[in-house]
Amino acid sequence: MSVDRVREVRLTAADLPSPGRIAMVEIGHHRIGVVQVGGEIHALADRCPHRGAPLCSAGQVVTGIERRPDGALELGREGTLIRCPWHKWDFDIASGTCPVDAQMRVRTYSVRRDGDEVVVSLDRAG
Amino acid sequence: MLIDCDVHVGYDNLLDLVPFLDGPTRELVTHSGVNGLAMPSYPWYHPTGWIRKDAYDAGEVAVGRQIPGQGLETVRRLLLDRYDVTYGILTPDEAAAFSIIPNANLGARLATAYNDWLVEHWLSEDARLRALIVVAAQHPAVAAAEIRRRADDDRFVGVFLPGGSRVPYGNPIYDPIWRAAAESELPVAVHTHFDGVGISPPLTSAGHPDTYTEYHVLCGSGMYGHFTSALLSGVFERFPGAKMVMVEGGVVPFLGYLWRLDADWKACRSEVPHCRRLPSEYVWEHVRFTTQPIETPPEGEDLWPVIRHLRPERTLLFASDYPHWDFDEPTHVLGLLPEEAREAVAFRNAAELFRLSVPVAA
Repeated sequence: MSVDRVREVRLTAADLPSPGRIAMVEIGHHRIGVVQVGGEIHALADRCPHRGAPLCSAGQVVTGIERRPDGALELGREGTLIRCPWHKWDFDIASGTCPVDAQMRVRTYSVRRDGDEVVVSLDRAG
Repeated sequence: MLIDCDVHVGYDNLLDLVPFLDGPTRELVTHSGVNGLAMPSYPWYHPTGWIRKDAYDAGEVAVGRQIPGQGLETVRRLLLDRYDVTYGILTPDEAAAFSIIPNANLGARLATAYNDWLVEHWLSEDARLRALIVVAAQHPAVAAAEIRRRADDDRFVGVFLPGGSRVPYGNPIYDPIWRAAAESELPVAVHTHFDGVGISPPLTSAGHPDTYTEYHVLCGSGMYGHFTSALLSGVFERFPGAKMVMVEGGVVPFLGYLWRLDADWKACRSEVPHCRRLPSEYVWEHVRFTTQPIETPPEGEDLWPVIRHLRPERTLLFASDYPHWDFDEPTHVLGLLPEEAREAVAFRNAAELFRLSVPVAA
């Protein structure tokens, strides 16, 4: 792992979390959780927008329970949500949005691949 | 300064109380059931975890610790030190069940052992900690004796009664508890807990809820019953020194009940002659409320215009409910209040109720 001009951090394959896990990185004073979902890498602020809890460093990756149109229940796509450690609100890892409150959104960070490395930068995610 | 009126702690296992138990009770605790005595608990399981995950240590769970967020070092790190808590008032978790098990004698003996355990493991370990006396409310005479036994220890600042009970706390069968508490100048804290569990009736007369979420929305129901019962049965006439604090029942619902109490008392007071004044008059003098779980209207500024009718500058006390999942952060709660009420809610009202020393107001 290396940090360039405190604007970004470069992660090697060994630095990346396995699915369902959260790897913590820091860029300057930004504490960022890195999560892998379905082969994609995502980066989110370690701060819950609800009450400021350490969302990534103490939260967990979970799978939602969804209701189909016919009323049956099923598991959602595996490991796409991150759950706040304090009040247990869930956020979509890829977008930072909150399924139950449109006003709440976790800051997400730009992630790109550069050769064998994954680069997380302070730029906002696309 | 900050006084947190609801900091939950608990033993890791009921067997931890063994050193504080009399022989016969020790025998029951050790050999009952399969692995020793167990307390009844909620039939609803929290879908995502009862406690804050950052207060939860999986390694400690693996070696049998029951509620690891309640360890002293964790409480210091995540609550007392982090928020510069001047006093944290300890409330029970599982030990609240001693009041809702059918065997009143057993509950009373367990409560005494628990209070001894509190002294040794908590109150003697950190000068910021105070505690509520746990009693078995279903055995009022022995509960009163336990209150008197602890009354000279300044670290016990009140009496804990759970929301779940056999009958409401204004019923005269509880007079020994009110008398002992009043004579000891200790407030009685009624805290939502085990409503609808053990010997207490269903959470509401609709019957048992299907889910934890339903339960949690309704869990103050026992407290609203105790609130109404204490006021209308004349507890504060029989025991003019009695104080009551409603813990974890929210704030807004009490206002609705209070308005209804005053209105109904005017029409029905011949039936409740021991309530000699408007119920709200007793409230201002004898009853306090804690903040958590503070209601969260869509617009935060809508809260104060409602709760101001409960006179929060005199009646409201901060509580976090640490380490539970519905923990309220002090900066958030106090930020919902106007500047002129914050100091009172943060510590002055609690200091007065629990007789804790704080700087004199400027």
